[in-house]
Amino acid sequence: MNLLFGLSPFLAVGVGALLLMLAEAFGKPNVAPGVETTDAGAGRAGELALGAAVILVIGAVLSVAVWVAGPESLPELTQVAPHLVIDKFTLFFSFTLCVGGALAALLAGGYLPEHGIDRSEFFPLLLLSTVGAMALSAAGDLLTLFVALETMSLGVYSLIGLRRGSPRAAEAALKYFLLGSFAAAIMLFGLALLYGATGHTDLAGIGAAVRSIGSPGSTVSAGKILISLVLVLVGLAFKVSAVPFHQWTPDAYEGAPTPAATYMAVAVKSAAFAVLLRVLLVGFGDERLASWGAGWPPALAVLAVLSMTVANLVAGRQESVKRMLAYSSIAHAGYALVGVVAAMRSPEAVSAVAFYLLAYTVSTAGAFGALILCGSRGAEAVSYEDLAGVGKRHPAAALAFSLFLFSLAGLPPTAGFFGKLYVFRTAIDSGLYTLAILGLVNSVIGAYYYLRVMVYLYMREPAPGAPRAVTMRSGFVATALVAAAIFVLLLGMAPGFTLDMASGAALTAR
Amino acid sequence: MGLTGYLLLAAALFSLGVFGVVTRRNAIGVLASVELMANAVNLNLVAFSRHHAGPTGQVFALFSIALTVAEVVVGLALVLLLFRAKGDVRIELASELKD
Repeated sequence: MNLLFGLSPFLAVGVGALLLMLAEAFGKPNVAPGVETTDAGAGRAGELALGAAVILVIGAVLSVAVWVAGPESLPELTQVAPHLVIDKFTLFFSFTLCVGGALAALLAGGYLPEHGIDRSEFFPLLLLSTVGAMALSAAGDLLTLFVALETMSLGVYSLIGLRRGSPRAAEAALKYFLLGSFAAAIMLFGLALLYGATGHTDLAGIGAAVRSIGSPGSTVSAGKILISLVLVLVGLAFKVSAVPFHQWTPDAYEGAPTPAATYMAVAVKSAAFAVLLRVLLVGFGDERLASWGAGWPPALAVLAVLSMTVANLVAGRQESVKRMLAYSSIAHAGYALVGVVAAMRSPEAVSAVAFYLLAYTVSTAGAFGALILCGSRGAEAVSYEDLAGVGKRHPAAALAFSLFLFSLAGLPPTAGFFGKLYVFRTAIDSGLYTLAILGLVNSVIGAYYYLRVMVYLYMREPAPGAPRAVTMRSGFVATALVAAAIFVLLLGMAPGFTLDMASGAALTAR
Repeated sequence: MGLTGYLLLAAALFSLGVFGVVTRRNAIGVLASVELMANAVNLNLVAFSRHHAGPTGQVFALFSIALTVAEVVVGLALVLLLFRAKGDVRIELASELKD
């Protein structure tokens, strides 16, 4: 019973996904009389979105419940270890993932019918992919790590290609798929090598084997460990879309339906960071590998600086707001990587990254949601020009957009401010002054393109005769925006509670 | 043939796969090259499994085969999607999305 309770967040979302699939397949299509359809899910995006959102909220609530009960007081959970490690770190991330998934589901409930993408399989796919993401954050074994990664990714590939007959969607999905499976194969090679070198597939066993290198009687080859570390890092850097493994990101986000892009930006990235932290700290936590002179911290520091700088410079030159948000998500991966580098010295950095990703999840989901709200059928808001004058035509949408952009830019009193503050503070506490300063400089550069959106929202008028986006009305999108706004303000004005929870997550990550 | 032989063979297959991904212009060719990489890894896993005298590597290889199949299914569906939208599966023609 305790085992079931401990696994309940995963079970709720997984079983919910299967139930939703059945509900989709056996329901009656909701189409106008006289219209023939073979798709049982036709016209039912609304109800399925509601179902998906409710299931994911239940998943989030159960994550909190298991947290409160304390996973360490449930000894039965060791039965599923090391395949699934249910600790506070996992639960914090599964909460973040469920919140991100629920927001994406609500956005899809408004977006799909509005833009004529009558494909209700979006929601079961979204839930199954979220299960994969949650399992990824819990993976303490190479086998579960790979299975979870593929479960998450296969769902996302399909979500991007959902808009049938659109060359752009097909191109985006295929590009992401080919690069994604290429990166997954590289990572799999690394995982196989890691198993070969150590004889273990559980991260704790690998960590112990890595520590034994150099001691008398150890047969573990340091060369193989280093090669596998590089290969695994490449695979995960691709998933978090760190420069130079980011080329797919803007294309995939632009071609994908916006709610699918939202899901990729928030859930895929958070889950990849969770597994990155666990692999590096548990599997490669040996002091010789996790030090500034050698091992992964300098490599990740280079990735962090490249991601922040390149993404911020390129984002400012984009004409499409969706592409700008894609580059912004790359830049945020860079800020979070600063925290991952700091994690080599201070365990607090793990909680800083966890808090950062929660703040990033609600802000990014909100920004994409506001972008959805600014467009309507046949006139999707894409470019800056489309947003001109929305502040007058639809003050509520513009206000919400501004709030989320403030948070992404890291201005108080929003969640993004405390996320950045916490990450950079742990970087300074660990003596990584250069990284922290580069991060701060980049946040200032980043504010440019976020503020540019606000300039268009409030200070520009649409050019006469230009096609202008008409804002849409949708209870789903509005609900998602209100929920995200509450999170952003709550985390921004009273971050103490969540910070305490996040620092609880840090202690059990190792 | 010892462990090293298998590892060298797997490394060669893997490199061939990487070469194919980088040079192929046809989406199906790229997909086949990725599969070659995945199968090189499976060879590695089975060889390591024998080296460590335990079933873990074989189990891992079985999971990896199943996942690769699922990946191919999704991949071919996406190639089909591109073919329906464009009438061609050459990836250099898919270039509508750019900065």
